[in-house]
Amino acid sequence: MSEATANFGLVDALEARGISRRSFLKFCGSLAVAAGLSATAAPRVAMALETELENAKGGLFPVLWIEGASCTGCTESFAQIETPDVGKVVLELIALNYSDVLCAGAGHSLEAAKEETIQNGNYVVVYEGGITQGFGSNTLRVAMETGEEILVHAAENAAAVIALGSCAVNGGWMAAYPNPAEATGVSGILKKHSIATPVVNIPGCPANPEWLMSVLVQVLMMGGAEGLLAGDVPAVVKTLGLNDEGKPQGIFGETIHDNCERRGHFENGEFVYEFGSKEEELGYCLYPLGCKGPQTKANCGVTMWNNRRSWCIQAGSPCLGCCEANPNDPGDNWVEVNTPFYKRDRDLHIGDWFFRPTVVAAGLTGIVGAAILIHRFGMKKAGRMDGGADFEPIRAWDAKNPDRSIGQYEYSVMGDPVKMKAAQEEIAKQYEVAEEAAAEDEGR
Amino acid sequence: MAHLAHYKEAHPLPFVITHWINLVAMAILIISGLLIHFPVPISMGIARGLHIFAGIVLVINCLVRVIMAFFVRSAPTAGTRETVKDYKTWLPQKDNRHQGGAWVKYYLFMKKDHPLGAKLGVPQKISYLLIPILIILMGISGLCLWAPTAPSGFCQFFLNLVGGAMSMRIIHYFGMYVFIIFLFIHVHLATAEGNEPVKLMFLRKEHGGLVYDPDKHVIVGEDKMEHLEH
Repeated sequence: MSEATANFGLVDALEARGISRRSFLKFCGSLAVAAGLSATAAPRVAMALETELENAKGGLFPVLWIEGASCTGCTESFAQIETPDVGKVVLELIALNYSDVLCAGAGHSLEAAKEETIQNGNYVVVYEGGITQGFGSNTLRVAMETGEEILVHAAENAAAVIALGSCAVNGGWMAAYPNPAEATGVSGILKKHSIATPVVNIPGCPANPEWLMSVLVQVLMMGGAEGLLAGDVPAVVKTLGLNDEGKPQGIFGETIHDNCERRGHFENGEFVYEFGSKEEELGYCLYPLGCKGPQTKANCGVTMWNNRRSWCIQAGSPCLGCCEANPNDPGDNWVEVNTPFYKRDRDLHIGDWFFRPTVVAAGLTGIVGAAILIHRFGMKKAGRMDGGADFEPIRAWDAKNPDRSIGQYEYSVMGDPVKMKAAQEEIAKQYEVAEEAAAEDEGR
Repeated sequence: MAHLAHYKEAHPLPFVITHWINLVAMAILIISGLLIHFPVPISMGIARGLHIFAGIVLVINCLVRVIMAFFVRSAPTAGTRETVKDYKTWLPQKDNRHQGGAWVKYYLFMKKDHPLGAKLGVPQKISYLLIPILIILMGISGLCLWAPTAPSGFCQFFLNLVGGAMSMRIIHYFGMYVFIIFLFIHVHLATAEGNEPVKLMFLRKEHGGLVYDPDKHVIVGEDKMEHLEH
């Protein structure tokens, strides 16, 4: 296959949708950036897309987009990609066989299509939303099945599951205290049912559509698919560069803070202390307003949102840390650890008693300080300030246990003026002897 | 005059130096740490730089101090010029045996006279022994929050253990208050019975007092050190 033929095929398809090759390459560049590659990787991405399109010939990779306990925000975000957009064209490289939100069909026929895809195998599941285990998993039922059953059934036979959005990664805000629905993420459920299907975690609330696009491009078109089909998890992990949390390292390897456009203001100590202030107008750093950028890992500042128009920080909001989601720990979800959003640190709680860390820590320190002050007055009153109280003549334990006494009190001078006087003179004499010896040394 | 004589042997020069470094590093860490948590204009770059530098110094100083305890000799009790390997003064000593309750009673004014003991009283020794542990924990939690070291497997292990960076931040922050509480108590008790212990520790200035025999475990005399006055 010559390059010209391949190019012709794709350019043809693009032009039919009014997209120039120039904007296609630009799109490939942004995909590369979203995937954590350099923009110079654009031609490589373009080549992969072109080749895939040429090879596809109707054999598209089936994708099931399943809604768990979700707000469909991630779908909404994905659907907001502008049209006509190359992203849409790329999407046409996958066969979206099932989507609760986007599919025109509904009811038995749609469920039957889903089941058929599952039986045929070699598909990818995009799972959006958390999985609620509480109340017998009955808080979510679709087509008579619980959310947990649906995920387990779809994941068992899948080449991979893409957990889209923080809820799918570890339960998200649903897993925050008190978590009555016992929400958790895809990884947690698959582990519970001992299903080894690889999981790609893409947190965010919502997840940036370009992150999903980049993962799809990498998995389906840049060598990941073979690994998926072969069940070769290490190959998939290598292609996607997944970290220990199953997240693409290129996207979630650095903090918001690392790539923040306001970082210079942070280093210079130029901060916004309240909304509506002059500092806010000057675009200073939002750190004192509770920005979670320093501990939240995502490349939002690079990828940005809505076709690189803007992102939270540029729009003037501190980062809420919506990408904080540890798949192995539902408690480490972004709402639990980042609220109140406009405070520097989270609220702590013991049962239903919530408190600010500073209030408790500073309060305790203050109480100790006050207690010490009182103790100091006590020391003064007890007459211990000038050299302490007089020493005990004998240890209390020794007095009770004379046969096993620690101290050899026959040598003690405490409470015996005669012995004390003799000991003092003895010690003074030692100094005299030492001084004389020193003088003698000098004289010599 | 009821206290024991303050001799240089209680605090040999290397430990006076590590104590000075502890003081300065902790002061820098607390002030710069507060400035990082409650940022004020202009300070951030300086505060972070100082904080990381002083943190590394404090941890190294702590390790050096612990290692030196096995090589440097110091007095096992106050009021004596006899010395032993310093680490022995951190283990249970015969002078302290059965005296824990007496110390607590003394501090709570339930006992009138001063308990006999080693260089460090029982509650004092226990609290001092917790300090290196606290320094190491603060060092680890600090590394977990510092961008260049946080991604390492070592730090990731501890971050996962505590439930993420936010929890680690709060632990690190609470740790500072533990240091402040320790400093309150330490300064109070070190100065309550006079300034002689402070002068000895910081300036190596000796002071006369009762003489204690660490072999017989009793007070055996008084050294007035009058020769120093003329």
